[in-house]
Amino acid sequence: MREDIHERAVQLIDKLQVEGLAVEERAWLEAHLENCGPCQKRARETERALRALRSAVPRFDLALVMATQMRARIRARELIENAAGMRALWISCALSWVLGIVSAPLLWRGFEWLGHSLAISRAVWMTGFALSWVAPAAVVGAVIAWRHARRANATEMR
Amino acid sequence: MARMGLATCWFMKTVEQEAGAVARGLRQRDPALLDYLIQQYHYRLFRYLLMLTGSRAEAEDLFQETWMRVLEKGHQYKPRWKFETWLFTIARHLAIDFLRRRQPQSLDALLQPPGTGRHLEIEDTGSPSAFEQAFQGEEAASVAAALAHLPPSYREVLTLRFHEDLELEEIARVVESPLSTVKSRLYRGLATLREWLKDIYP
Repeated sequence: MREDIHERAVQLIDKLQVEGLAVEERAWLEAHLENCGPCQKRARETERALRALRSAVPRFDLALVMATQMRARIRARELIENAAGMRALWISCALSWVLGIVSAPLLWRGFEWLGHSLAISRAVWMTGFALSWVAPAAVVGAVIAWRHARRANATEMR
Repeated sequence: MARMGLATCWFMKTVEQEAGAVARGLRQRDPALLDYLIQQYHYRLFRYLLMLTGSRAEAEDLFQETWMRVLEKGHQYKPRWKFETWLFTIARHLAIDFLRRRQPQSLDALLQPPGTGRHLEIEDTGSPSAFEQAFQGEEAASVAAALAHLPPSYREVLTLRFHEDLELEEIARVVESPLSTVKSRLYRGLATLREWLKDIYP
């Protein structure tokens, strides 16, 4: 029975630090500690261990802060410039898409007329039409892929 | 009581406003905000990384990388999280990637307590380790010597709880583990630390 009491006290000593205690638990522990030497010792050891932990101060080189701030500023500028570039790219991509849709019937007729005039087979001028239609998207895709590859390389180099 | 409620309310509002301002600044990649955050959190981040990796050089490398990641992923920060919770989560992910590259094994194996598989321990060579040397003063070095014997998963939660004063739920979010795991690591970590320090400070 007494063993159980001490066990509970030991558990509460740790719980006090880790989770905190309910009012009744705290009152019980305080009453127990007043009359129990070994548990008092245990509570003191726990407090001492935590005080020692809190007082352990790692050395820190402030030059690291300045170097990091400098690096962050450079990287922020890069990212802002990249974002602006990407925005311009997406806007031109959207415009080209809208223009492509609007101009598709005209372009089709133009390719058809050219095919007849130059006596080119239907398959060839249709392929030409398809290529001219997907060219902007292909260019944008290539630019994005190139930028991604460049960014990945830069990250790896760092 | 009512006054305390008002004070808490005001404090919460201020914290929320600050977190909102941080989120806006991070979305805009505001260099002045970044300077401020680095200045404000440098020591706490470094201490956390040092506790996690057990190596000063690695903590310094990861320190810089963490801020770069904060810059790149700033748009993902949500003001409902405390900034430091998010910062430590990012730092932790980077540290895990780094440790995996160094010791190609699973995260669980790396951070698990002893006896459950191979884990990352600070080498005991008899002379003061780099980890011990990373602390100021003789007493702190003794504490560091005791900490060096703890597995990183214990050191990590101990520092988040007793240095950073994070709530248990916040710690669980940072370490991406259930609350019960966090508690059990804290209890075991505290018990081990107490045992080690008992010898140092009898």
